[in-house]
Amino acid sequence: MMTNDTIDRDAGDTLAAVARLLRHAAVLVWAQAEAEGPRSSLHLLGLGIHTASCQVVAMLPADADLEGHPPAQDDVGQLLRSAEDLTRSIPVLDQTAGISPLVVAICDLVREAKP
Amino acid sequence: MKRQDDRSVGELLLDADFTTRQSLMDVTGQDAPAMLRTWGEVVQSASELWATLPQSFRGTTSPIDGTTMHRLESMSQAMHRNQVRRGWPGDGPSDERLLHVAETLTRAADLIGRRGGHIGPTDPGIRADLDAARMRIMHTLYVGAHSVSVAAQQHVADVELAITRGMSSRESRAVPRGQEAINRLAAFEQLAGAYVGNQFARAAQGEHVHGPHGTERLQQALIGWDIQAHRTLAATPTPANLLLASRTQAGIATAAAAILHAGARTGHVDTHAYKHRLAPTLDATQQAWTHVATRWAEMTTPASRTDLDLVHAAGELRAAVREVAHDKTTWAHPEVMAGRVDLGEAAQHVQQALSTAVDVAFVIRDVATQDTNLTGPARAMSHRANDDIDRAADRDHRDEDVVWVTAGDVHANRTVAIPEPVRVGLVDAADTLVQTASNAMSAASCLDQVTQDRPSGSGQEPTAPRSRRHDGPTPMVQEVPRVARP
Repeated sequence: MMTNDTIDRDAGDTLAAVARLLRHAAVLVWAQAEAEGPRSSLHLLGLGIHTASCQVVAMLPADADLEGHPPAQDDVGQLLRSAEDLTRSIPVLDQTAGISPLVVAICDLVREAKP
Repeated sequence: MKRQDDRSVGELLLDADFTTRQSLMDVTGQDAPAMLRTWGEVVQSASELWATLPQSFRGTTSPIDGTTMHRLESMSQAMHRNQVRRGWPGDGPSDERLLHVAETLTRAADLIGRRGGHIGPTDPGIRADLDAARMRIMHTLYVGAHSVSVAAQQHVADVELAITRGMSSRESRAVPRGQEAINRLAAFEQLAGAYVGNQFARAAQGEHVHGPHGTERLQQALIGWDIQAHRTLAATPTPANLLLASRTQAGIATAAAAILHAGARTGHVDTHAYKHRLAPTLDATQQAWTHVATRWAEMTTPASRTDLDLVHAAGELRAAVREVAHDKTTWAHPEVMAGRVDLGEAAQHVQQALSTAVDVAFVIRDVATQDTNLTGPARAMSHRANDDIDRAADRDHRDEDVVWVTAGDVHANRTVAIPEPVRVGLVDAADTLVQTASNAMSAASCLDQVTQDRPSGSGQEPTAPRSRRHDGPTPMVQEVPRVARP
């Protein structure tokens, strides 16, 4: 499995927070999708958020700390916006390779999640 | 009088980046003409800023050179010439946000030109800053190109919908011209994306390159997913990979129902067959995949890693489904889907996917049954074991008061081997999955007949499938090493 051991600590900590937000958002969307039923389009939104969170985890070192309490927010759109907001502090460097497509993926999800 | 802009070059670059992000989050199809008119100015400004940055002393083979920017500028100019020649999108207002990005980049170029463009970057710190600036510029172009492309895609979709309602031929020319712009922007985005060094790019959002559209893309994405799911699950059947595989299969079942529903509504799929055979079995298999996925999810931790090739295949599949079946935030109207693709052909790809899903279900059941290395976090495993025992018909287990996970493991939330009740529950869920997936495959076999026999009045002629037909497992399925089933 891919890991990134060259990322600096600040960027790594920020990405870990992004991962927590996305993971929580995916859980919420899937719960809502299951409540709506098997034909809910939210199943695919949840899949998109989950794949984005997989991307984030792949950008982190193997020993990254991803535990911690789930975010307090329960609004999926807000969670995604918070995740995008956090990525603004991450530099675009070789050590953070993957940040550009991640930003695009999260922005796409924000737009997709709009009511 | 305009207030003086005291921002540094770094601040200006961040402003440009964040503006393109905001644009991407808000963009609609209505924005496309203005964005296409303005995009060339953004690229031009970025190129001029690039040229003002002191040259690096690296060799010509370094990725930090001007070749990529020259190519991007050429692509943008070619795109602009094409727009002028074809008269589309024609004259009109500029996009304010992209204009702001262009002006911001120009402002940064002016600042460098006045204050330090002549400086030779011998200091490693300065060289690093320059590299970072180039990366930020390219990142901004990458995000910006994607934003314009999304606008163009939505614009084309909007026009396609309008065509079904009687739009004029002059207005409908936006479809082929918009599609051409989308292809050019995809190439631009891929080139800029390669510069910002993303081995992750494909995984996040699909291919974004010149490629098939519509049902052909859907077909390739479904085949690609099937192949990758088998590869990944044969090599690394971890709970994280099984979770993504199950969630994606659930998504396929959901998408199948949406596409076949649209087919039934538009005369491409037999309505009775959809209502009484396909829909119930698709719902059942979707729920079974979702149930299995929640079981695997309990066995993961936040740090669990998923195979990026599998992530990529899932991302491409999701993108292909959205292209065919989504309209902004929900399913597209059946007539809209029918306007985009041949739903009879799409139904046949769906049928093939439902066939291959059975084999993925068998692989998952094999793992659940036989993989002795399955583990999970102690707390989740303890809860699941107790819940499953409480629900079990046989109450003897509860009376024995077995401790399935030690208090020490629970306290530290160590990774533990899955307790026997958890495995039993997992195997039960996988058995149900195999059964429901098989039922869905059987129900979908009627698509052979109904798509070929549908009335010619459906608006589109029956189309021969472009792919090989799956009467059984795909060749890839047969190649994948499988453990023996009990």
